[in-house]
Amino acid sequence: MTIAIVLLALFGSAWLLAVIEGWITTGRLSPAAPLYSGLAHLGRESILPRSPDRVFFEAAPVLLLVVAVLGMAVLPLAPDLVIADLGTGGLFINAALAYVLVAVIMAGWGPDGAYAMIGGWRFLGQLIAYSMLIVMPITAVAMRAESLVNTAIVGSQESLWNIVYQPLGFVLFFIAAMALAFRAPFDLPTAEGELGGGVDAEYTGVRLAVLRLARLTLVVTLASATTVFYLGGWYGPLLPPWAWSLIKTLAVAVSMLLAGRYLPRIREADLMRWCWVLGIPLALVNIIIVGLLILVVP
Amino acid sequence: MYAQAFFVAVFGLAAIGFGVVVFRTSSMVRSALALLFSQTAVGCMFLAMQTEFLGVLQIMMMATEMSIMAIFMVMFMMDPGGLGGMDMSHQKRFSIGAGVSAAVVAIAVALLSDWGPAAEQVADAEAQTRELGMELLGRSMMIFETAGITILTAMIAATAVAIPVKNLASKDDKEASE
Repeated sequence: MTIAIVLLALFGSAWLLAVIEGWITTGRLSPAAPLYSGLAHLGRESILPRSPDRVFFEAAPVLLLVVAVLGMAVLPLAPDLVIADLGTGGLFINAALAYVLVAVIMAGWGPDGAYAMIGGWRFLGQLIAYSMLIVMPITAVAMRAESLVNTAIVGSQESLWNIVYQPLGFVLFFIAAMALAFRAPFDLPTAEGELGGGVDAEYTGVRLAVLRLARLTLVVTLASATTVFYLGGWYGPLLPPWAWSLIKTLAVAVSMLLAGRYLPRIREADLMRWCWVLGIPLALVNIIIVGLLILVVP
Repeated sequence: MYAQAFFVAVFGLAAIGFGVVVFRTSSMVRSALALLFSQTAVGCMFLAMQTEFLGVLQIMMMATEMSIMAIFMVMFMMDPGGLGGMDMSHQKRFSIGAGVSAAVVAIAVALLSDWGPAAEQVADAEAQTRELGMELLGRSMMIFETAGITILTAMIAATAVAIPVKNLASKDDKEASE
């Protein structure tokens, strides 16, 4: 039952996000647009490129979707509404999201196309930039909760949300999450303007539909992770806990889309430089500040 | 108990299966990712043996490590896609001999060792994580810090060696032009 509710929330949020994305880009609010778009994809021919690495080509979109769902499995929507409240939940979500890289590399290598391959390997470079900024802020979050259990992490924010307690960590995690979801301005693997779609380029029909769904689901999972780690999860007045989780998750996801809409795409070398020269020292400073706060403030 | 043994066996066989694929394919990326999934299966074995932290850590670390290995193999091998039909294996007899004898030794160690009684009860994942943390920052701190510093030193040294010395190059150019 819990599994069904969480999956419904996940895909429902992905659908809402698709509607909002359409609203932002076209100016028309059409709740049925994702349905039409999905049906259109199913109706189109799913072209197989010449001499593909068939296993990678077929597995990549499915792996991306599975990874996004697995990440969501350890994130609580309410105190008792979580598929698996693992003892290592904070680490597990990193492990699941590490396979986003594997899926993108497979999607890049699989179709035997130059643009796709460049896109796939670009994401590896992107990982070198963002991965520390995912792990190190989560470390500081786990330090405050003194636990890697995600429900305990939310519980530690009952009096004060982590966005106030460690705002530096929140900013770093939010940016790194956008890079992980490869949304604009970090959409280097798919870069429409220069790579003609990159890893998306060779996918058509039903395979593209799965890939698009997986990318939307990934954004929802990361927004939910941001909610759990920094925005106090299910805490909020009046409404039931699950409603607060969903509202916060959607707000974070929409803010990711909006930020991407108004920022220019960043160059990969610049992303790497900023992440390592500025981001990682700031993440270390965040850990030190949180450590001092834990020791000094009772 | 039986279910646990069953899953350990299934993931163990999956690890061996993917390990075989590593050597059966000519594509360097397939080879690297097969090794990744072999290691992931080992991580799943840890999970089946109720060592959650180690299992999740293994699964997480291998994804990045093997992907980075894949790009290095693509960069340095002559036929990374395996489409050129090149045979990149060598010293076959020696390899087969080494492989078989290593397998025999490993099986002998597994069968002949006295493993002691199987643990009936283990602490839950949260308590295990706490104990592991206490171990890493207590008794074993020196070992892990030494290993960490050694790896960091090696990384800095490797990076320093890899950076081209620009001043010397420009000096040579000047001398050449003169």
